[in-house]
Amino acid sequence: MEETGGNRIPAIGIPRALLYYRYGTLWEHFFRALDVPVILSPLSSRGILDIGARLAPDEGCISLKMFIGHVEALIGKCERIFIPRYSNYGYTDLFCTRYEGIYDQARNIFHTSGQRFITCNIDVMNGSPEPKAFEQLGVELGFSERESRQAWKEAAGALEQEQRANDRLQKELAGKPGMKVLLAGHSYVLSDPYLGKPIRDYLEAAGAVILRTDALDPITSRKASARFSPTCRWLVSEEVVGGVMLWKEKVDGIILVSAFPCGPDSMTNELLIRRIKGVPVLPLILDIQSGMAGIETRIESFLDIIRFQKGEMV
Amino acid sequence: MKQQRKVALPRYGEYNCVLKYIVEQGFEAQCILPPPLSRRTEELGARNSPDLVCTPFKTTLGSMIEALEAGADTIIMVHGACRLNYFGELQEQILRDLGYSFEFINLSLYNTGKIKDILRALKVINPRCNMVKAGRAVYDAVKMVEHLDDTTSMYYQNCGFDPTGTYPKIYRKFISDMYAARSLADIQEGYRNANHAFADVVLEKNPDPIRIGIIGDYYTVMDPFSNLEIEQKLADMGVEVHRLMNITNDMLRNSEKNKQIIIRRFSEYSMGASSTTDIWQAQNFAERGFDGLIQVKSAFCMPETDIMPVLANLSREYSIPVLYLTYDSQTSDVGLMTRLEAFFDMLEMRKKVAP
Repeated sequence: MEETGGNRIPAIGIPRALLYYRYGTLWEHFFRALDVPVILSPLSSRGILDIGARLAPDEGCISLKMFIGHVEALIGKCERIFIPRYSNYGYTDLFCTRYEGIYDQARNIFHTSGQRFITCNIDVMNGSPEPKAFEQLGVELGFSERESRQAWKEAAGALEQEQRANDRLQKELAGKPGMKVLLAGHSYVLSDPYLGKPIRDYLEAAGAVILRTDALDPITSRKASARFSPTCRWLVSEEVVGGVMLWKEKVDGIILVSAFPCGPDSMTNELLIRRIKGVPVLPLILDIQSGMAGIETRIESFLDIIRFQKGEMV
Repeated sequence: MKQQRKVALPRYGEYNCVLKYIVEQGFEAQCILPPPLSRRTEELGARNSPDLVCTPFKTTLGSMIEALEAGADTIIMVHGACRLNYFGELQEQILRDLGYSFEFINLSLYNTGKIKDILRALKVINPRCNMVKAGRAVYDAVKMVEHLDDTTSMYYQNCGFDPTGTYPKIYRKFISDMYAARSLADIQEGYRNANHAFADVVLEKNPDPIRIGIIGDYYTVMDPFSNLEIEQKLADMGVEVHRLMNITNDMLRNSEKNKQIIIRRFSEYSMGASSTTDIWQAQNFAERGFDGLIQVKSAFCMPETDIMPVLANLSREYSIPVLYLTYDSQTSDVGLMTRLEAFFDMLEMRKKVAP
């Protein structure tokens, strides 16, 4: 702000990856309520993933590599890149350490680029709950505490509304006839145009009704998860696990979609596979090399199993 | 009288002696020591674990199986800040699916932020235990941890310069003293003896030896089997090996917030689990003019992977070489040796060129 001299509010860039797919509505509405111009990184593609894979640590998950690729796409295109740090919403709702470190990690990776970053630290255990975090973010952008708080309230309302609408849509879909497949996974995998979309397209073309754990009401899901697996404390994984537990009887098959090598998924999916009985489950791990062909074959044979179980195929 | 519980904790470096002390002296139950970690432990663990979980999960699972084979009927599992929180629940499920029957004390389940709940977990070990006695045992055990860490770091800093070869003997004697200790006096005596014996050895150390700082994830860096005895290997090459990561420094005397302030140039917020401590240690080693850093991490360790870009910047800024090592259950001695030797040679040359 200082260097431009005028009243121009710096443009914020948001990488369209990782928690964007979970909290993006909140962020965008927050900035919009404050009239801060926002640009989003382009949709995920092979190119973005390749750039990310070159810059990020080798052993990071694909989602991390994708994220770093998205950050790279924004370098120099905006005054600050917004990378919130989600640490926890209290003792029982933690986040994967990756989201905790992603702000500092990106800062270190793009250390020499001169790009400025801005964060928003959500860490209830250390006295920084969501409203306060966004208030501070607003203040840092030059707004008053009141304006920022108001903007957060609007944004939080918008996110809640979106979640309710999604949940309603899921229930409608569940009432439809036909083979129902539950996609269980993080929204940044399922919603990603490069990673998750081909899977959804394939299922749709095969005539399946797709239900998604990330479209369900998160609070109900988290409650169900706490009953099923009390020490599963990653907020996003709780929503996946809870969603599976709530819907497993209502669907014909479950596909556990995970990005190689997702830390929380490696454990929660194992527990789900061990404890779910009576529904076909397909664990699908997406890695950087995977062409669609291998995945299509696996989904195809999975759908055959479902049809076979339902007696549609002899 | 009801039979005593036979309690076990998976092998974790030499820290099992501490649990043994608490269980036997404080709770009047029996402590089963799982056999020392071996290839078999790793294979047992890896065979029954999900593929993409970190190596400590596999090793501890293998050690649990071996503890059950050795007659344990109660297994304690700790919790932590990363995936470790979830280890217990999944490992219990895997063991039950394998058909074992046992009592499982998953401390993660009792980790609600209230001390009352942790005491409740300990009551399971022996419902009629005397809490005062248990408290005293925990106090003694804290002393034991401090002495153990102190002696261990003393050992690895100096054993490479001992021409007589008595250092390993003294250290082994000290460890077995700790396993045999039955009172605070025993612990103190073992510690004193080891210190005196160390002091009696005349070291052949040049005034400016190659010093390497070791950092890494909680389990792999502290457990000699899991890191293929990297500290011993380096010491044998004639390196002064420093490792700040131990329970004393990281749990008993930790001040994460202050460390975060010191490293804020590199990392403004905690990046989860061991990251803050690790970056702080790396910076500390670099500022003290160490010759090199080695990051010891298990495959798929999330926080350690995330701090790699930070370490890369730190390495550039302080111009200190960093060797990144990733351990999985297939890592062999030979490959490690080659890399360590190359790293050592490079450090030696650097020292000659720019002393």
